[in-house]
Amino acid sequence: MNEIMEQLKQIFKLNEFNQEREDLYFITAEKEQLVSLLTHLRDIHQFTSLIFLQAVDYIEDNLFQLTYMTHNYDKHISLGIRVKIDRQAAEMSSIHHLWEHAETFQRELKELFGIDFPGSPGIDSGFVLEGWEDIPPMRKDFDTVKYAEKTFFPRPGRKTHDPAEYMKNKLYPENN
Amino acid sequence: MSLKDLISPFYVWKRAFSKPYTTRKPLKERPGANRYRGFHKNDLEKCIGCGSCEMICQNAAIDMVPVEGIETQYSDSGLRPKIDYGRCCWCALCVDICTTGSLTMSNEYIWINSDADVFRFVPGNENKTWDTVEPGYQRSEGYELLDKARVEMKMLSPEESIQSFLEMVKGYAREEAEKEAMRCVECGLCIATCPAHMNIPGYIKAVREGDLAKGIELLYETNPLPATCGRICTHRCEDVCSLGVLGEPIAIRWLKRFLIDQIDQSELKQKIISDYPENGKKVAIIGSGPGGLSAAYYLRKLGYRIKIFESEEKAGGMIRYGVPEYRMPYDQLDKDIETILNLGIEIEYNRKVGADLDFRKVYDDFDAVFFSTGLTVPYKLEIEGEDLNGVLDGLDILEKFTRGINLELGKKVAVIGGGNVAMDAARTARRLGADVTLLYRRREEDMPADAEEIQESHNEGVKFITQAIPVKLEKAGDQLKLIWNKAEMVDQGAGKRPRPVPLEDEIHELKMDNLISAIGQGPDYSFLGEDISNKLKFHRYKVITNEYGQTSLLKIFAGGDIVNSTADAISAIADGHKAAKGIDYFLNRN
Repeated sequence: MNEIMEQLKQIFKLNEFNQEREDLYFITAEKEQLVSLLTHLRDIHQFTSLIFLQAVDYIEDNLFQLTYMTHNYDKHISLGIRVKIDRQAAEMSSIHHLWEHAETFQRELKELFGIDFPGSPGIDSGFVLEGWEDIPPMRKDFDTVKYAEKTFFPRPGRKTHDPAEYMKNKLYPENN
Repeated sequence: MSLKDLISPFYVWKRAFSKPYTTRKPLKERPGANRYRGFHKNDLEKCIGCGSCEMICQNAAIDMVPVEGIETQYSDSGLRPKIDYGRCCWCALCVDICTTGSLTMSNEYIWINSDADVFRFVPGNENKTWDTVEPGYQRSEGYELLDKARVEMKMLSPEESIQSFLEMVKGYAREEAEKEAMRCVECGLCIATCPAHMNIPGYIKAVREGDLAKGIELLYETNPLPATCGRICTHRCEDVCSLGVLGEPIAIRWLKRFLIDQIDQSELKQKIISDYPENGKKVAIIGSGPGGLSAAYYLRKLGYRIKIFESEEKAGGMIRYGVPEYRMPYDQLDKDIETILNLGIEIEYNRKVGADLDFRKVYDDFDAVFFSTGLTVPYKLEIEGEDLNGVLDGLDILEKFTRGINLELGKKVAVIGGGNVAMDAARTARRLGADVTLLYRRREEDMPADAEEIQESHNEGVKFITQAIPVKLEKAGDQLKLIWNKAEMVDQGAGKRPRPVPLEDEIHELKMDNLISAIGQGPDYSFLGEDISNKLKFHRYKVITNEYGQTSLLKIFAGGDIVNSTADAISAIADGHKAAKGIDYFLNRN
């Protein structure tokens, strides 16, 4: 793997190479070089399979981190390529031409994170959230509790107790 | 057509009678994966009902409810989580945040019932089949949502600390305090345990959010001596902190100190002062220790005219004269006291009720009297030779030292006792350059002193001799000779303290220049006069009061060490507050 890395470094700008497991590696790539890097990995280094594509919202740093997980079946190693993209203008080049099923992953990210992949087939057709009108729910600024309270009614008969208040009534009621 | 083509259709029959690879339908068992997030399990014994699971739940699926057979205690709210599986999304955040690790998940996920209401239950309390199922989601090793380690407090090293009386604990910087405050889960379990029931999660939140004004306001709601308590409080709140179950409790006391340290005296005066209208009634307060000061503060805010009678030349009582400066710097105590007196409270120093002025007169001149005179009379060792020259009293030397009187201790000093006064006497002697040995009749774990004081005494080179019973004192040239007997601890049955019993042939000697006795102290009620004290009720030496801090004489209220069993500053402060409310109730009702 180190050999492959050395070769890749000749061509691409790569950072933070690390090995998580014997058969699992991660690198961080530049947004602009991502598509050519993936093409190169697939066609030259036999990372022929795209296992998944997912995102993490780093709201504090104002960015999304995308992870493209690829696999090399000859050597049985997985390589995750991380790319950081701006959170405000969340847009990334599509890779559906490299792996057809990438369009599904991209559709998912569009719906759950609001990350756009222009040109990806059916990118705007819904994924799982029918009739969703709020901000994309996997964004950290989406308030799940508020949404749940607004959208779902509580079952009748529910009652909760605040521990501190309850202890006051039980242990020192004279302070009431 | 070849022979192979003819035969090949029959090949498929060759496995007709072997075990199929596929799963047989209908499916009987569908085991979840090992770490599958199925129905919750909760170890009800381990759970303390902090409600962190409810707070983190993003679907509002959890209610905290009382459960039969689980009693509310100071370290346990008595509530347990009840989960609504109509809302639960199995995200397991509740398991991840659980402060005790009691809440986990089984890998069971199939349960069919036509009654929707059965899907709301208290895990661990309903004998579900999955309660005993081993696999399922548990927090993995090293994955922590809770920060278990306390932000370290910077302190003088023992080598530095014994050189001077500088305050040992340096206090948190803003960044450290905010980081420490971040660890709090705001469960509020600590509030009940605090004798003053301070709004601890509230002021910790204020630290976290940098809202100083709010924090100070919350402190003064229940405690007008925050700079004092931020230093020397016995912090029982920290003993029940839910973070302390698996990690280190929040440094509640240091956070309180941080808040009050951020504001200087003049600013504080402006914040706390406001014009309280006088209601025309007068209350006398005897003793200006934490109990008296607290009563004065809250009564003044209720509109009463207050006069404090203090026998010493300065206010503060035991906090000033019994706690050395390296734990409680005088300027910090003065900050608390000045803020209180600044409300327009009259105080007469060097005025001892019972000597300079009759208690009866105070009783007649005021609408109500609150006394909180503390424990001031040292217990005697009751051994031969204790009246010899060179035998001193622990409280007395601490008091003298506060007044700036030279103690003239010898090179070698022994201290007898295991309480905070003993530790402080020993540590003061160490700072004055003496070689100090401390003797205590029981084991170290039986010592009533704060654990920190014991540890710091060790650090500062105080030598400990435990299970040592003093027998007698003799003169040995210029020195004193203590004869002491090694004891063994004899079990007294369940619930009772083991008793030290002297061992035969285990008589030892110890030579010293000074012996400091610090084995406790009792009250002095002589100032009340016979007439009054005959009308008050006592239990052993403690004054009996009702829930308003009122004694059996309706006009007289009492609090502090002479009333409560815990005998610490925060309990006295709570007593003062309670009596203030009681006096207000009593005077307004009549």
